[in-house]
Amino acid sequence: MSINLLVPIVFNGLSLSAIYVLVALGFTLVFGIMRVINFAHGEFAMMGGFALLFFYSQLGLPYWLALPLVAPTVGLFGLVAERLVFRPLYAQELPSMIAGLGLSVALADGAVVLFDVHQRNIPSPFDDILTISGFTFPEDRVVVMVVAVAALIAFWLFVQYTAIGLALRTVAQDREMAEAQGIDTSATYRITFFLATGLAGLGGALFAQIYALSPYMGLVPLVKAFTIVIIGGLGSVPGAALGGVLLGMSESFLNTFYGASMAQFASFGAIILLLILRPWGLLGRPEV
Amino acid sequence: MQPVSVSMALPGQARQRVLRWVLIGILAAALLIWPLFTHDLFYTHIATLVLLYCIGAASLHLLVRLGQLSLCHAAFMGIGGYTSALLTTRLGWPFLPAFVASAIVPGVVALALGPILLRLRGVYFVMITYSFGELVRLLFNEWQSLTGGADGIFHIPPPHPFFATSREYYYFALVMAALCVGFTGRILSSQTGRFIDSIRESERLAQSSGVPVLRFKVMVFVLSCGLVGMQGSLMAHYIHYLSPGAFGFSESLNFLVFNVIGGMQTLAGPIIGAVFLVSLPEVLRGWVELQRVIYGVILIVVMLYAPGGLVMIGRRTLELLPIGRGGGS
Repeated sequence: MSINLLVPIVFNGLSLSAIYVLVALGFTLVFGIMRVINFAHGEFAMMGGFALLFFYSQLGLPYWLALPLVAPTVGLFGLVAERLVFRPLYAQELPSMIAGLGLSVALADGAVVLFDVHQRNIPSPFDDILTISGFTFPEDRVVVMVVAVAALIAFWLFVQYTAIGLALRTVAQDREMAEAQGIDTSATYRITFFLATGLAGLGGALFAQIYALSPYMGLVPLVKAFTIVIIGGLGSVPGAALGGVLLGMSESFLNTFYGASMAQFASFGAIILLLILRPWGLLGRPEV
Repeated sequence: MQPVSVSMALPGQARQRVLRWVLIGILAAALLIWPLFTHDLFYTHIATLVLLYCIGAASLHLLVRLGQLSLCHAAFMGIGGYTSALLTTRLGWPFLPAFVASAIVPGVVALALGPILLRLRGVYFVMITYSFGELVRLLFNEWQSLTGGADGIFHIPPPHPFFATSREYYYFALVMAALCVGFTGRILSSQTGRFIDSIRESERLAQSSGVPVLRFKVMVFVLSCGLVGMQGSLMAHYIHYLSPGAFGFSESLNFLVFNVIGGMQTLAGPIIGAVFLVSLPEVLRGWVELQRVIYGVILIVVMLYAPGGLVMIGRRTLELLPIGRGGGS
C-alpha cells in the first residue's frame, strides 16, 4: 500500500478515534464509578450538537467561546437527569439501565418535538485545507483532533492530580471503603455524571459538525461507545482510550477498502470473538 | 400433624383453581364474542395487533424471567418475518410450512449464538444484544438482493384466502396467541419454570444444585426466539408488507417495555403491558412524537415508583379492597 493512500486513512482514523474516545470515556466513567449503564449517553451527545448550534450559529458567539461552553451546558442538563432519574436508583444495575432507556427515548423524541426531525448542518469556521509536504488535511478535522486531545489531557490531569480526582478513583475502586474514609460518594457521583455528560456533549458537538445534526443522531455514538467499552473493558479509562483508537483506525481502513457496512460487520465480529476469549475486555478486570 | 394440614389446604386450593378456570373461560368467551357486536374494523385491527404482540411480549418474558434482558428480540421477529415472507413470495411455499420455518430459522440462529451471548450476564448481555439487533437491521437493509433493502417486501399473501379480512384474521390471531401464551405459561409453571427462576435468583446456586445452567439458558433462548419469529410471520401475513424499519431497536425496546410496565414477575405482566401499550398509541394517533416522550417518561416513573409494574399496582389496590383479601397469593 502506497504512502499516498496510507496517510489520509491514518489521519481520518485518528480524527474518528478522537471523537470516539471522548464519547466512550464518559460512558465508561459512569459505569466504572456509578455502576450505571447510561443508555441516554448518546442523547447527551446530541444535546451537545444542539448546544453548539445555539451558541455558535444562532447567538453568533465566536467559535472558541461557543465550543468550550457546550461541555458545561450539557453537563448541567446531565446533573438534572442524575438527580431526577439515576440518583433514586443507585446500585441497582438493571432498573437504572431501564430508566436510562426511558430517558433516552424521552430526550430523543423530545428533541424531535422541539427541533423537528430534519438534519441540519453546523457551518465550520475552518473550511481550509492544510497542505503539509504534499499531503492535504481538511482543517476542520485537525481542529476536532486538537480539541479532543486537549479535552482528554485536561481530564487526565484532573483525575490524576486533584483531590476530587483522587476521590473519584477511590470510589471507582471500592465505594464502601471510600465512604468509610469520609468521601461523600454521592457528591462524586454528581461530579462523575457532570464530567461524563459534558465530555459526551463535546464529542457530540464535534461529531455533529463533521457529519450532521439531528435528534436521532445519539444512536450512533451509543453503539460506538458500547463497542469501545466491550473492546477495552467496561469501566476502564485506559481501555476506553485503547478501544476508541482501535475502533477508529479499523473503521477508517475498512471503510476505505470495503465500505461502511462491512466495517460494522467486522466490528461486531471482533466483539463476538473478544467475548468468547476475554469477556472482560482487553484492559478490564474480570468480575468475580 | 402434617397430613392434616395438607388436607386442610386442599379445598382452598381447589376453589382457587376452579375460580381461575372460570375466569379464563369468561375471558375466552368475551374475546370470542365481542367482534360480532361491532362493525368497526378499526377495533378488530387493533385487537389483532394486541394479540400478535402478546406472543412476542410473552416470549421475551421467558428471557426476562431468566434474568437476561434482551434488546434484539425484534431482530429475531424480523428473521422469522423475512423467512416466512420470502418463502411464500419468492419460492411460492404454502403458508403452513413457511410458518413452521419462521419459528425454526430464528431458533437455529439463537441456538448458534446462544452459547456465546448467554455467557454474559446483566448489562453485558444487554449491550451485546443491542449491538446484535443493530447488526441484523443493517443486514436487512444492505442485503438488497434477498430482502429488498429499505423498500421491504410487498404483496405477502394472507395465510389462507379465508383470513383476508381483519375480523377473520382476528380469530386466527386469537388462536395463535392463546397457543403461544399458553405454551409459555405451561413452561413457566413446570419444572423447567422453576429451573428458570432458580437461574435468575442465583446462577451459581442453581449450578451447584445440578441445574445445567448454560444448556437451560440456551434452550429458553431458542424457544423464546422461535416464538417471536412466529409473531414476525403472523405480522407479515397480516399486514402483507415487511420492511427493516419495523425490526429495529425501538421495536425491541417495546417488547422490553411491555414486560417492565406490565410487571416482570408474572406472565400476566407482559400481556397487560402489551394490551395497554399497543392499543393506547393506536387510539391516540395524532401525537406520535409526544407519545414517545410520554412513553419514555412512563418508563422512568415505573422504575422509580412501581418497579413491580401494573400487575403490582393492581394487586396493591385489590389488597386495599375488602373483597380481594381472600384471593391474594
